[in-house]
Amino acid sequence: MAASCHDVDPVPGKPTETGTSLLETATGAIQGFAPVNQIHQHLCAFHFFGDDMTRQVEAHHFCAHLNEDVRQCLIFDGPDAGARLIGVEYIVSEELFLTLPDDEKPLWHTHEFEVKGGVLFMPGVPGVVERRDLETVAKTYGKTIHFWQVDRGDALPLGLPQIMMALTREGQLRQDLAECVEKKFGVSFQKERENRAYMTGPAHGIHPLANAAGKGLKTSIREVDLPDPTTRARVFT
Amino acid sequence: MASSDKKPLPTPASTGGDGGPPGKPTIMSTMMLDKGAAALQSLRPVKQINQHVCTFALYAHDPQRQVETHHFVSRLTQDVLQCPVYDSDDKNARLIGVEYIVSRKIFEALPKEEQRLWHSHAHEIKAGLWASPRVPETLEKTELADHMAGTFGKFWCTWQVDRGDRLPLGAPALMVSPQAERIATVLPDLVRKRDHKYSFSTEELKAARADVEVPADPRPGQADYWVRHHKGFAVDVVPHEMKRHARFP
Repeated sequence: MAASCHDVDPVPGKPTETGTSLLETATGAIQGFAPVNQIHQHLCAFHFFGDDMTRQVEAHHFCAHLNEDVRQCLIFDGPDAGARLIGVEYIVSEELFLTLPDDEKPLWHTHEFEVKGGVLFMPGVPGVVERRDLETVAKTYGKTIHFWQVDRGDALPLGLPQIMMALTREGQLRQDLAECVEKKFGVSFQKERENRAYMTGPAHGIHPLANAAGKGLKTSIREVDLPDPTTRARVFT
Repeated sequence: MASSDKKPLPTPASTGGDGGPPGKPTIMSTMMLDKGAAALQSLRPVKQINQHVCTFALYAHDPQRQVETHHFVSRLTQDVLQCPVYDSDDKNARLIGVEYIVSRKIFEALPKEEQRLWHSHAHEIKAGLWASPRVPETLEKTELADHMAGTFGKFWCTWQVDRGDRLPLGAPALMVSPQAERIATVLPDLVRKRDHKYSFSTEELKAARADVEVPADPRPGQADYWVRHHKGFAVDVVPHEMKRHARFP
């Protein structure tokens, strides 16, 4: 497969030792992997940082359904074996999005534009099949958090988690990134845009509080005092 | 707007705890589409996941809130691992976060500020809390002793299921690892519940690992900062100007 569309430092560390590799071959055969075995779909799309639209990332989503209305996805920076796990995305139906508290809604983004715009696609899946699911995806809302800033070349997952946003209109997607991805996967966003013109977004329209309420979001961290361990023994089960 | 240490407002998404997430059961045509896609796509990054570790984690802003975690581990190099983390190991498990694991050598090269976000693993391994279901202890003992016990982890939680959230709400939360100090001890009930489910004994694992060496300096740099300074960490998501080159939204 072609190289990453991002100029990222290689992951540090020695090549895997034989003993380690043998153990992991064994555990891979013996243990159960039910939660990850639910992952049945690979979607490629773009995210940008909640406080910086100019920093954009090629995001490979590997998704599973928790139920008809909720999906959970692992986000990698590529489709290959050495891909870095850079984040997660949760996807919910419009109906569920509307039940979220108002201060939660800005952390979620809409998918209508990136689906209809043809830039979100399922590598390897013919358009006819892909479109059947994308009709549904176009109406959903997503919450994306990234941990590893590969677009700035980080060799490791440094810093704070970042709330990411998705494309919402023409002119946002960087041309260099778009061309790199189209070439790598042999797709044409323009062509898909035409094929998907019939699709519709959320029934109630794009909620005004979604997509960072039209502004932007940033994460920060603070130290807090810890409760005295002698004062309680709550058990959450 | 959102903080990892603030409980979300009561809504259908934030209360009602454990019947699973809201929403309709997956319909047949969705399942068929999924199966069709899976047959055509290689899903290679996910296929690299080859280890399941069950352990416990504490919230960095409130370490007496603790969860049993299921890490599904894949290896990038001898020194770096990456793990999606779930709240159980069954097919309905919720994806609750991601942990990255690095060797001591890599950890020591991190900037000081960054090190504060990382935790050590030696204690939870020696205490038998870190367990690999279905793997005979003899098989993994060498790997645990030689490599894993000396690693450091960084774990972000994106879904606080233990407080009843039916959907992933709020800011991501930093998680930390069990330690010997009282403020970092895992509640016995949680351990008992885990042991009962897997029919193994944390006490026995601890005994079996008595000879696993703890490094001479188990907390290099700023590792386990919270325990040493008795301070937690909370993450905030706040409104902020978005640098932009086009209209938004």
